[in-house]
Amino acid sequence: MTDRQRRIQTLYEISLSIGPKATLTETADDALLEYLQKLNCSVGAVFQHHTTPDGSEYDTIVTIPADPESNATLQAMIDALPDGASDESLADQLPISDHTDDGAHFCLQELPDFGVLALGKHGGEIDDITRSSLRPLNEKLAEACRSKLIERRHRIERNRFEAVFDAIPEPVVNTVVDDGVERVKQVNTPFESVFGHSAAAARGQPIETLITPVDGEETGEQTEPTAVGGDEPATASYETEDGPCEFLVRRVAVGGPEADEYIHLYVDISVEKQHQQELERYERLVENLPIGVYRTTAGPDGEFRLVNQGLVDILEASSAGEFETISVSEIYAEGASREQFSDLLVEQGAVEDVELELRTLNGNTIWATVTGRAVEEDGETVFELALQDITERKERQQQLAVLNRVLRHNVRNAMNVIKGNTRLLSEAVETSEQSFIDAIERRVENLEQLSNKAGTMRSLFDQGREVTAIIEMEQLLEEVRADFESKHPEAELTVAVFNSIAVQADVRLKMAIHELLDNAVDHNDSPEPEVTVTVAPAESKPPDHWADITITDNGPGIHEDEWKAIESGQETPLQHGTGLGLWLVYWTVSLLGGEITISGLDSGTRIVLTLPRATGDQPPSQVD
Amino acid sequence: MEVTYCQSAGEELRETLGSMEKAESVDGICLLATADEALESDAFEASLHELSVPVFGGIFPEIIHDGTNTDDGALVVGLSVEPLVTTVDELSDPATEFRDALDPTLPADGYETAFVFVDGHSTRIEAFIEALFRTYSVELSVIGGGTGTLDDRRRPSLITNDGLVGDAAIIAAVRSPTSVGVTHGWTEIDGPVRVTESEGSTLISLDGSPAFERYKQIVERHTDRTVTPETFFEIAKSYPFGITRMSGEQLVRDPYAVGDDGSLACFGPVPEGEFMSVLTGDTDSLVEAAEAAYNEATSDPLDADGLLFFDCISRVLYLESSFDRELAAVSDDERPVVGALTLGEIANDGTGHLDYYNKTAVVGAIEDV
Repeated sequence: MTDRQRRIQTLYEISLSIGPKATLTETADDALLEYLQKLNCSVGAVFQHHTTPDGSEYDTIVTIPADPESNATLQAMIDALPDGASDESLADQLPISDHTDDGAHFCLQELPDFGVLALGKHGGEIDDITRSSLRPLNEKLAEACRSKLIERRHRIERNRFEAVFDAIPEPVVNTVVDDGVERVKQVNTPFESVFGHSAAAARGQPIETLITPVDGEETGEQTEPTAVGGDEPATASYETEDGPCEFLVRRVAVGGPEADEYIHLYVDISVEKQHQQELERYERLVENLPIGVYRTTAGPDGEFRLVNQGLVDILEASSAGEFETISVSEIYAEGASREQFSDLLVEQGAVEDVELELRTLNGNTIWATVTGRAVEEDGETVFELALQDITERKERQQQLAVLNRVLRHNVRNAMNVIKGNTRLLSEAVETSEQSFIDAIERRVENLEQLSNKAGTMRSLFDQGREVTAIIEMEQLLEEVRADFESKHPEAELTVAVFNSIAVQADVRLKMAIHELLDNAVDHNDSPEPEVTVTVAPAESKPPDHWADITITDNGPGIHEDEWKAIESGQETPLQHGTGLGLWLVYWTVSLLGGEITISGLDSGTRIVLTLPRATGDQPPSQVD
Repeated sequence: MEVTYCQSAGEELRETLGSMEKAESVDGICLLATADEALESDAFEASLHELSVPVFGGIFPEIIHDGTNTDDGALVVGLSVEPLVTTVDELSDPATEFRDALDPTLPADGYETAFVFVDGHSTRIEAFIEALFRTYSVELSVIGGGTGTLDDRRRPSLITNDGLVGDAAIIAAVRSPTSVGVTHGWTEIDGPVRVTESEGSTLISLDGSPAFERYKQIVERHTDRTVTPETFFEIAKSYPFGITRMSGEQLVRDPYAVGDDGSLACFGPVPEGEFMSVLTGDTDSLVEAAEAAYNEATSDPLDADGLLFFDCISRVLYLESSFDRELAAVSDDERPVVGALTLGEIANDGTGHLDYYNKTAVVGAIEDV
């Protein structure tokens, strides 16, 4: 065999071993071993070259022997690697061949676009022709190494991707389009738990078969998330292991729009969606409230930031936009009041039912109560306020005050004059005419009682609905009995208290019971008026929380129009009572948080006052 | 280097081992033995366990001492240096990572020579030799060969302090320098032929034809004899294959059997894609090769204490009575010559590649042992 034949065979045999292996190191190692074996060399190495601003750097991919420190030839090769200090490229500086001090020969050859191949031999050298013939093999080895480098980079990217894939707390699916069908390639753990499909079971399945829209339909605003090109975020409802859930779905093409691989990301927005719906409902509610809800800035003038339709109506504006053109102080009847109110709210942080005199945008004066709080928002103080128009109530109060004055002062003064004159008249007229005088005196007395009740009525409402005391019913009724017996000796009062019952009430309850007992006797035409008062757990409400105070008499009964007016809480021209007594009782029970029920008996009337029982938190009330 | 030949592998050998370990100048023992049931006895194993110095070696078809070869007895070689013995198990297991078992710092720690013996019937000897080369290159002078016998019986043939082991390799590193000569004397007469299909050491096809058919065509061009499956073994020992090395002797691959499918079984791996030549030799060329190996080993200016000679058993089969000439070619009046006839030889000459040879003579001149 000629040398040429031998060389060709050798190069061919080396070439068989060159190709990408499992790793870059294995690729270089297998090839280097074959180079050394076929060329009868004893030392070798593969280096990866890097160009740096300071010259060249080399990574050692593989050496034979494994420990380069102990091999002088290998050290000589490493020392001979071009340092890149000159302007020449690596290709221009290679090949290099030289001898070591102990007589070994080595050569360094370029692995194009990768690095350097080093071969060393003791007792001879690789001839020039063979060295130059290695170039195509070196190119093949360089290409194999480069492909492993690319693979390694891809593997690193892939590992990074898979780490991120598994770390995402939301369901993620990796799909590929295969023959027009988008099939699952990989799912992460959250996907398994949310949609109930294991990674093994999901793999290879069309994605549509794994993710089911709620009721088989998708919401109007969503897009088909698996459709080609549908990579815009969309919302959709899907069945999950925990029932239907709302998702924000994003489908992203891996590798560009023409790719056949996709990532689907499902972000569960059920809670956010629910919050949003609740917020919308709340906003609709606020918008439709008959009270004004608005936000303003603080300060003497103030700016409107938000107004609801209720405020627009109350302040007679044409639209919410109109408030953008005025300051808050402009709706105050007195501009200074705005500053006072602002200072108060800033100082206290919150206010409740502050009465303000305001002026509508049409110039009309109104009264309102304002409740609100001051909050810090983006570095400024903002008022969140609710305004209630109390103009009518205010006017009613004024009317009531005038009426009360008329009843308590003007009418009573007039009655005093009438009584005085009637007394003089009684002395002057004949006995036969005395009955007329008596009728006048009784009517005057009734009018005086009416006037007194008007005063009582005012005091009732002055106390309002706040009840912070309790009354032991047994004690109260003992006091009532004593009063009753001195006031109505002709009548009989029976009291029955079920165990020891206390109710949430105050002195107004005693007044109401007195009123009912007086009525029961005063209007009783029986020769022996009898009245019974019982106290027991409520029959019509939860007995642990409510008590019934029942007053029964043997009188003629209350006219139907009267008790129907009382029970319904309103009088009409055709349905009205004869006085204030029952109304006083009704208002008292209402103010105490209770109810009144009136029913006729075969002989007499039964009135039930149902009141909340005491919880034990309130202090006992002094009923005198 | 103290050498004692024991005719018997029984009590005589055990006593020799015992007395050898007690010698003040002995820090390690190399035991080269021929097959003997006594070596498989509990008594022998116990004697190995009891040795206070490292022992390594193997059981070979024949051993060499005093200028003769014999298939009887054992050679106990006392070394004045302590060998560092490493055993690599599971040599045929593809999962075994040989490089993990090898300490790459041996050269840095001053070790210069490694005696390497492998179970000659293991299937991954070539991979192990590659791992040795990858790890040490020529930093260690390697000399040794394949152990075992020519019969079909597979039994442990490597000797360690733990007893006999099989399907393994032994590396015994010493801090003594060795000069090695490796030659075979076979020359190319035909080829090349390309290995178009192979499995390990079995040639299935050559140049696209059944391996036996192609081999027969080539060999019959150089002999008057007709190559048949029946005559194959007798003829093939004169016509081995050679694997090309640039600037080096071809690696001999020895075909020894014809398969029913026309394949050829060889000693040593025959990688697919390789080109091979057909070699032949004669008594003179082989003896001259042995002499060349001897000269190469002893040409180095070492003050060698002894010569190690590992020669392929197939050369004995080929040379027959002329093998005496080969033994004479490596004899030395000044130093003992010990060795074995092996199933494949392992060596590097300190210059080129480390290989697993066939039909090759390996001579090592070792100093300070």
